[in-house]
Amino acid sequence: MEVQKEAQRIMTLSVWKMYHSRMQRGGLRLHRSLQLSLVMRSARELYLSAKVEAHEPEVSLQPARSPDPRLHPPREAEAEAEAAPLDGEQPSPEPMDTQEAPRAEEAPARGAPRPAKVSRKRRSSSLSDGGDVGLVPSKKARLEEEEEKEGASSEVPDRLQPSPAQAEGAFPNLARVLQRRFSGLLNCNPAAPPTAPPACEAKPACRPADSMLNVLVRTVVAF
Amino acid sequence: MAGAGGGNDIQWCFSQVKGAVDDDVAEADIISTVEFNHSGELLATGDKGGRVVIFQQEQENKIQSHSRGEYNVYSTFQSHEPEFDYLKSLEIEEKINKIRWLPQKNAAQFLLSTNDKTIKLWKISERDKRPEGYNLKEEDGRYRDPTTVTTLRVPVFRPMDLMVEASPRRIFANAHTYHINSISINSDYETYLSADDLRINLWHLEITDRSFNIVDIKPANMEELTEVITAAEFHPNSCNTFVYSSSKGTIRLCDMRASALCDRHSKLFEEPEDPSNRSFFSEIISSISDVKFSHSGRYMMTRDYLSVKIWDLNMENRPVETYQVHEYLRSKLCSLYENDCIFDKFECCWNGCDSVVMTGSYNNFFRMFDRNTKRDITLEASRENNKPRTVLKPRKVCASGKRKKDEISVDSLDFNKKILHTAWHPKENIIAVATTNNLYIFQDKVN
Repeated sequence: MEVQKEAQRIMTLSVWKMYHSRMQRGGLRLHRSLQLSLVMRSARELYLSAKVEAHEPEVSLQPARSPDPRLHPPREAEAEAEAAPLDGEQPSPEPMDTQEAPRAEEAPARGAPRPAKVSRKRRSSSLSDGGDVGLVPSKKARLEEEEEKEGASSEVPDRLQPSPAQAEGAFPNLARVLQRRFSGLLNCNPAAPPTAPPACEAKPACRPADSMLNVLVRTVVAF
Repeated sequence: MAGAGGGNDIQWCFSQVKGAVDDDVAEADIISTVEFNHSGELLATGDKGGRVVIFQQEQENKIQSHSRGEYNVYSTFQSHEPEFDYLKSLEIEEKINKIRWLPQKNAAQFLLSTNDKTIKLWKISERDKRPEGYNLKEEDGRYRDPTTVTTLRVPVFRPMDLMVEASPRRIFANAHTYHINSISINSDYETYLSADDLRINLWHLEITDRSFNIVDIKPANMEELTEVITAAEFHPNSCNTFVYSSSKGTIRLCDMRASALCDRHSKLFEEPEDPSNRSFFSEIISSISDVKFSHSGRYMMTRDYLSVKIWDLNMENRPVETYQVHEYLRSKLCSLYENDCIFDKFECCWNGCDSVVMTGSYNNFFRMFDRNTKRDITLEASRENNKPRTVLKPRKVCASGKRKKDEISVDSLDFNKKILHTAWHPKENIIAVATTNNLYIFQDKVN
């Protein structure tokens, strides 16, 4: 539990640092973002493995699921790669919760189009859970991150992926909050927080519009 | 060549300190780079405000031979200004990341200075004479009435107060998408490289409108990015060879004769990780913050967060020497992550004869390692020792257990006082150590 708490704390800290680093003069530092995401990934792995160990005797399904954290990164990475062109534009199909448990071992590709919209829907309910307010950035900040093409956290919420293995456990709400808020962040490769050019390069036609949006978004951020 | 010994063989004395005395540090005054020129006569510093200050060593006073010449301000100029990238809505910092001197070819001095995006070639020249006695002009420059000109005279040069002028001769811009971390002048003295997080470009000093990309590690899909370039340097003697270090703790040596794009390294220097040291933050503390060739060109030194490693260019699988800078911090990595200190990029340097290496630490401590005697020493850059020729007392950090007298415990270290930039005179035992906003100059004790 201590390990879990510590890992969680580090994850929160890392997200905060990432968000904060976007405010710095000189723009996002690629190296710093990479390092932060490495720490976040390690923290997540630690958190998940500690969680799995903690819940092993409690849940009968757990042993079947315990390989999931290991499998997740590559599978989710694939899913993300597919989701890349689908940045937060799909409507959310239906509530996630009921689907999480049975989807434990199913093809993650189906989960790929689950986009940011789902998380937006959930935000108020997860906040009202009284879960981890500290883990959840403010609504305004979240919208900025989701709309903005550049910056560390932006691409991440667009790729929020449910982590099927974690629905059960002593703190299902906490787990869900963590998943939805950070599974994208945490499942991402260190590559997740790139700078503007790659995002722009992926959609050259959209570049002018993106820049405008970025300017607007940055105005919101600044003021 | 002078510079033999370090450790306990020579005694380091305070010589000078430059910069504001007060504790309230203006951000623009934070020193971001320090570099001696090839003769050691000039010492350049760059700061966060985009300013370059050059100090010149006084000619040695033959009568008072107890100390070497002092360094006094020679020239100050604004190298870079803050800029704004309108396309990306990003401010470009004016902070000087690196300064590199060109070898002197004539009366003028040349240096390259760079911020995150633009490299500039500056010419620093002296003017100590001016022409006087123009035939057609008054002294103030106004043209004389032609009817009053009755004689012919040629202007003559007369001495004037020394004026040092800095002028930008070349501006090398728009070649880097990411933030420039290194510049290095080739031994051919015609070309130089500039490196950012993902790419290295080769420039000709005379040509500003184009550069060659020689290394590109940007993946097709940025999500697959796992490492970035952290430093790069040309070999001191072989004009075809350069190295670059990565955030994963590897160094790649490339030969420009092999191909135009040096994405495939000629040598890869990497030490397997010690499993007993594996921790949560292992990946980020293995990131190399600086790489420097020895003057001989046989060795190179790398600095990661906790150690300095010396590599023999002929051996790729492990360094030949490893020196622990502040191993007592290994158990504090979590706190250092919280206060962002774990991201500090320390530099390192060689002495003139490659026998001693130096690097900075926290609490305004800096460390020297003597490669021959295997002795090391920790010294402090502090205003408390600021009487000239005061011998610096070695410092010691107590990692745990009982603290002896004069030792400082790890928890008492001031992590806001960090020495990231140090430089060693190429020929003598004179070192320049930069604290946050002060520059300390130390010399060895001359009897």
